[in-house]
Order: sequence, then structure tokens, then C-alpha cells
Amino acid sequence: MNARRVVVTGLGMVTPLGVGVPRNWQAMLDGESGVKRISRFDVSTMAVQIAGEVAPLPRVPEDAAVPDLGIHARFALVAAREAWADSGLARARVDPERVGVFLGSGKGISEIERLTEACKAALAAKGLFDYAAFVRALAKDFSPTRREQEDYYNSGSHVARAVGARGPNWVCITACAAGNHAIGEAYRAIRRGDADAILAGGTHSQVDLMSLSGYATLGALSPRNDEPHRASRPFDRKRDGFILGEGSGVLVLEAYEHARRRGARLRAEVVGYGNTADCYRVTDPQPEGERVELAMRLALKSAGLAPGDIDYINAHGTSTQQNDAMESGAIKRIFGGRGEAPPVSSTKSMIGHLIAAAGAVEAIACVRALEEGVMPPTTNYEHTDPACDLDYVPNEPREKKLLHAMNNSFGFGGQNIVTILKRL
Amino acid sequence: MKRRIVVTGFGALAPNGNTAESFWSATCEGKSGIARIESFEPTGFAVQAAGEVKGFDPAKFVPNRKALKVMGRNIRFGVAASRMAMEHSGLLEAPPDPARFGVVMGSGIVPTDVEEVGQAILASLDEAGRFDLRRFGTSGQKTLFPLWLLKHLPNMVAAHVSIFHQAQGPNNTIVTACSASTQAIGEAMRILERGDADVMLAGGADSRIDPLSLVAYTLLGALSTSARAPDKVSRPFDRDRDGFVLGEGAAVLVLETEEHAKARGATIYAECVGYGSSFDAFAATQPEPEGRGAVQSMREALKDASLSPDDVDYISAHGTSTVLNDLAETVAVKKLFGARAPKVPMSSIKSMIGHLIGAAGALEAVVSVLAIRDGILPPTINYDTKDPACDLDYVPNEARRAKVRTVLSNSFGFGGQNASLVLREYAG
Repeated sequence: MNARRVVVTGLGMVTPLGVGVPRNWQAMLDGESGVKRISRFDVSTMAVQIAGEVAPLPRVPEDAAVPDLGIHARFALVAAREAWADSGLARARVDPERVGVFLGSGKGISEIERLTEACKAALAAKGLFDYAAFVRALAKDFSPTRREQEDYYNSGSHVARAVGARGPNWVCITACAAGNHAIGEAYRAIRRGDADAILAGGTHSQVDLMSLSGYATLGALSPRNDEPHRASRPFDRKRDGFILGEGSGVLVLEAYEHARRRGARLRAEVVGYGNTADCYRVTDPQPEGERVELAMRLALKSAGLAPGDIDYINAHGTSTQQNDAMESGAIKRIFGGRGEAPPVSSTKSMIGHLIAAAGAVEAIACVRALEEGVMPPTTNYEHTDPACDLDYVPNEPREKKLLHAMNNSFGFGGQNIVTILKRL
Repeated sequence: MKRRIVVTGFGALAPNGNTAESFWSATCEGKSGIARIESFEPTGFAVQAAGEVKGFDPAKFVPNRKALKVMGRNIRFGVAASRMAMEHSGLLEAPPDPARFGVVMGSGIVPTDVEEVGQAILASLDEAGRFDLRRFGTSGQKTLFPLWLLKHLPNMVAAHVSIFHQAQGPNNTIVTACSASTQAIGEAMRILERGDADVMLAGGADSRIDPLSLVAYTLLGALSTSARAPDKVSRPFDRDRDGFVLGEGAAVLVLETEEHAKARGATIYAECVGYGSSFDAFAATQPEPEGRGAVQSMREALKDASLSPDDVDYISAHGTSTVLNDLAETVAVKKLFGARAPKVPMSSIKSMIGHLIGAAGALEAVVSVLAIRDGILPPTINYDTKDPACDLDYVPNEARRAKVRTVLSNSFGFGGQNASLVLREYAG
């Protein structure tokens, strides 16, 4: 039996650059930055005060019935509705049991302020934490539905409900790789015949007090509070950490025959997928990027392609010292050095790191790049780094006829995901 | 040809047993692991019963104290269960090719540690006693363990497990609430089937018996607030059921391609033959009353296994002990199995261990494998009064000997995600 081909028939996204694929794509080609001083809460005493915020938060029809809708579900609904409309599947006659939802989904813990009165009551008497006092005070004003709506899985539930998708539905969280992971697994599921169409992608929000504090304490974030636009600078020698971003990207993946039969616009084909684990440390990537290299090689192998077939790489490129050097090294071992390796760029330079949504948003950038024959730039690239000596499409988009694009995503904790997209 | 996937080992940490075998014998004896909460003082809480893991020593499994510091309770459970599974399968002494060895775990929200956060809150109060963000920045956050975030990332269970066993192949973490670990096992099957790995560790780990989760689930109306003795509270399918009981623990199965298992002479306990998943397009936190999504996931799993409902000898139920779930599941089984439904035994081990959320399906998969191995159906305990609407064979109160060739294991999520697995006696 020939495995089924899988194509992309719909795209939707919301990022710090705005809502919708047309707006985002134009902004990326213009090299705009969505990184700003955080406006959602008071950050004046925090070590890191900048992020890629989506502001204002988009409204969704669910607001009427679900007052506690999680911010990650909100972003996913916006992106999924755009992708669904773009695919034309709403008008086509599809079996809802053959439509699935695979999402990478993450959400920061944002309940600390809401626990103030309960914790004060519990700690009123010096010494032990008084649980009885805690529960008495908490029961007064604690919203259990709000907490439930903030759970990761709810993004997948809301999206499925919004489009009436009754097929396979799962939500994964492999940190920064999750969005690309969902695309890879959806590709496999459709190939296998488990569904005819899957809304695949990622959604994330960690622009909240605790996440900002937690990542900053780990030393992962850039502290360039005075120049937010210039803070995310992947592959630049003076890069000093990533920028938290938020948003969502959703793609409609569909069986080729199914899409063709209904006369859908075929925007790209998913042709390769590789998945490995670093097994190094939970806080750092393995410095030589051996497992990252293997993920890229596995993706090439699954696509039946040679390194020379890849025309563009959308890098993980987080703007941390470690990631960007490691990723560049792994690329060089497969594709060769400057002049041999394809151009590599990181759209995180403009929107920050959307964590579980990052890989999906970057997959959409790859699809647009393939369609338009233009590669989005790595902005803020000013100082060459001997450890990063590839062509990073610095600061300006570049036209080039592209056939295959590779999308890299590496998760905090060591999950490495690589997918390959092809122009049709 | 489709690759066959077999189970060659398992490890479990449950409220009624700290190894797979002790958990299994307690479960067959109808011994409940649900008791009054001991990890904190529950006086004043509307719910005081839970299935806690007792006498667990993480240092036995993770000798490195530094590593242990960044592992939350759920991560420790997961690593311990994975180690026991590896040992059981014989792979601890003879590890597989790292590149062909992966991990998929079910996990979920890691609850806030209110004692830890409480100190940060106290240090962040202004003169009027309100939480002040500026003071959080200057002093509150300094009271927190600097690496606290690492304990709160759900993917860290699978990350630690992969590091621990050098499983460098495909790695995933599924977070679909109550279905997470059933889906994790299903995903691992798919990875093996398509040839992306030879061996996978698949399962789940979860721990939500903490003051905050307890209050939240109580206020959602999901937990039983019954005044019965703790071990009598969880009573799936009984007429007087009134909500679930929180449990905690982990289970990990070693899944392997048949070819790989045979080549190394491994003991094969069962075969994974089918997986199905669906979504209930109904209200959040409530199953569809007609059980449509549940029927779909069971049907898809059987179709995947090329089996019919007539082949099923035992159903490991989701059976949470909530009024709605147990009814919807019963309705769904009747729809799919038709006239044969009352003849298919279906029991819920949640009657003894409570609901382990992200780990529930993994424990139930272990039970499914052991039911096949030993020819024993574990009981649904606390089944005292028949519910006219739930009128199937729930293996009430006593385990039963039976020839078990094929088991259907169900998990239906809070958010509407449903998953079913079909496990079968390995016939060579």
C-alpha cells in the first residue's frame, strides 16, 4: 500500500506582530519587531521587562459562554478559525469523525495573585501552614473553572468544538518543539489513514509573572530592557538569551487525494519528519548537537531527500548562546559550511520565542516562503560570530526559488523535532 | 506488512502497591489504596479521601541528589516506574540501541506548591496586605527555589526518563487530562509500527493530591464529598456513586516490536493490537450523554485491531464513579456491543486507586496486560446497590477467573478527548 501524501490546505496565526497570516507575513518581510516592554502587568522591578506580547488580546465568539477562557485557547481559536476558513473545509462535505486536532499547547501558571488571601490566612500564625485556614479563605473567591480552563488540553477541546472535529484529538507539550511536533505527528496520522484532515499546530502563552520570573532566574532570557526591538538577535555574536513570545499557529493538513477531490488550494506538501531526544541535561542542549543533527538526518531520510535538496532552513534560532552555536554546528556537519549550506533564518528575531507555538508559526513562515519564493530575514544580525558562520539571511528578506524548506524546533528538556515542507 | 507491537515489561507505582506485582495482587484482592490524606492535614476540606502513594523512597531510584531536587513528585513517580519497567523487561542490563529507543508519557498540569508560593506571597505584600507585583520582583521571587520552573514543566517527566535510560529516539508528552497516558501508549504503538523505533517506554505519571487541586476539583463538583469511610467512597457504576476520588502514581510499559523482542529472547506478556481516539463535541467537563465519542474511540480501536466487539473478553472501564461518566460509558458499551453487552465483564480499578488523571490509563493498561497473563478479572469494589441505568456486568466486589484473550481499555478525558486501546494475548 502506498502511504498517502499529505498537503497543507489552510493557514492561520496570531503572533506579537498581529492577527492573521497576511499581516504577519508582511511584517516578517518588513523585518518588524513585536517585542516590547510588557504591558499586561507591572514589571518595573523584574529583571526582564520585555516580551513578545499579543496586545490587545483578540476576542473570540467563545467569550460569551466561557468567561474564563484560557489565553492559550483564545490564541488557538483565532488561528484555527483562520486556517479552517482558509482551507475551505467548512464548505466542503467532510465526515467530522475524519477530522482531527493535534496541538502543542502550553500555558504559564498565573494563579499566584489569586492565592494571596488564602496563603495569608494559612500563614497568619507563625510556624506551620494552616491548611484549614487556607481552604476556608480560598473557597470564598477561587474560580475552579478558571483554573480548569487554563489546563493545557483545553486548547484542543475548544478548537475541535469550534470546527466540529470529532476525530483523533490530542494535545502535547514538548516545550519549544511542541507545535512542530504536532505537525509531524498529524502528517503521520493522515499518511496512515487515521484521519482525512487534521488541524495541527501550537499555541502558547507564558507572558505571565511566574514564567517571566522562572525563565529569568534560569538565565534563559535576554535582559535588554532598554532596547526591546533589538533584544532577540539569533546567531549574532552579542545575543544574550531568548525573548518570551506568545501566540498560535495552526495549519490544516489534509490527505492529498481528499484535498484534490474537493478542489482545495494546495499550499504545500509535508514530506519529512524526524524526532530525537538529547538525553543530556534538562536545562541545556547537548553542546555538539548530535541528536539535533540526527533529527535533521532522519527528516531527510523519511523524505527521501539529500542535504542538497533543501533550499531554506527555518532555524530554531532562539538567540541563546548555546542553541545558536549548537544548531549552526549541526547544520554544517550535514549541509557543509557557508556557500554549501542553504540559507538559514530565524523568525524569532522578530516575534520572540512562542515556545509550544513556535514550530507551528515557523512552519507557516516556511509555507509562505515556498509559495512566494522569498525567505524571511533574521533581524538584529549585526556582529558575526565565528561559532555561527552560515548565511542567516541577515536583516533583509531575500528572493530565491525554493522547493524544499526544513523547519527545526528543539524543546527545553531535549526533544528535537524537524519537519520538511515542499512547494507544490 | 504491519509490524506487531508487544509488551515486554511494566512497572507501576499505585496507591495500593509500590510495584506492578503488589499493585496487581492488591487489586485482585479488592484492596483499596484510598485513605484519609496524609501528605497534608485535610481537616476543614470538603474532601479528605484520596489514593496516595505510600512509603515511596525516590532515592532508591534516583541516587543523584541534585537530579532529585529538580524532580517534582510526578517526575519521581515516572522515573521510578520507568526503572521498574526496564528492569522487568531485562533491558536495564542490556539496553537497546539508544537511537531506536524512545519515550512517550502522559502528564499534565503540575499543581502549585502552596507552601512554597505562600512564602513568596508573604514577601510580596504591601502595607495594606495586598499582593504587590513590584515587591514580588524585589523580594517575593527570591524566596522561591531558583529552579522551581523545572518541576512545573509537564514534559520533564519524559525528559528525565529519557536521560535516565538514554532513550534518544522519539520523545513526546501528551497532556489530554484523563486520556493522556492511554494516548501516550497509542502514540508509542504508532511510532513502533511505522518503524521509527524498536523499543518505547510508554505510560503516565501524575500527582494532584495537593490542597489547591483538591479544592479546585471539589468546587468543580467532580469529586465525591461522601461521608463514607475513605475506602468506600469510590464506587463506579454503583447507584450511590457521587464523584471521583483523586489518586496519584505512575505506570510505564515497555513496548517493543515483535521482531526486536524475539531477537533478544524477551518474555512477551501481551500484544498491543489497536488504538483509537475521538473527540466529544459536547460541553466541557461532561461526557456526551449518548456516549457517541466513546463509541467512536472503541470502534476505531477495534477496527485498528481488525477485531469485532464479539472478540472482547474484558473491558477495563474508564469508570470514574461520577454519575455522568459511568452512565455514558455504560450507554456507549451497550450501543457498540448490542445484545452481548451484559455478557462482557467490565470493571473499574478506580474503585480501589481513585482517578490518577494523566496516569490513569497507564495503570489500566498494566491491569489489562496482567488480566491476560493471569486469567483474572479485577473487581469493581464498593458495588453495593444496582443502578437501573447501569446494568452491565461490572465484576462486582470479587475478582473472577476467566480466559482473557482480548481486553479493551477505555479513557475518556475531562476535555472531551477519548482514547481506547486493544490488548491481546500474544499467540506467536
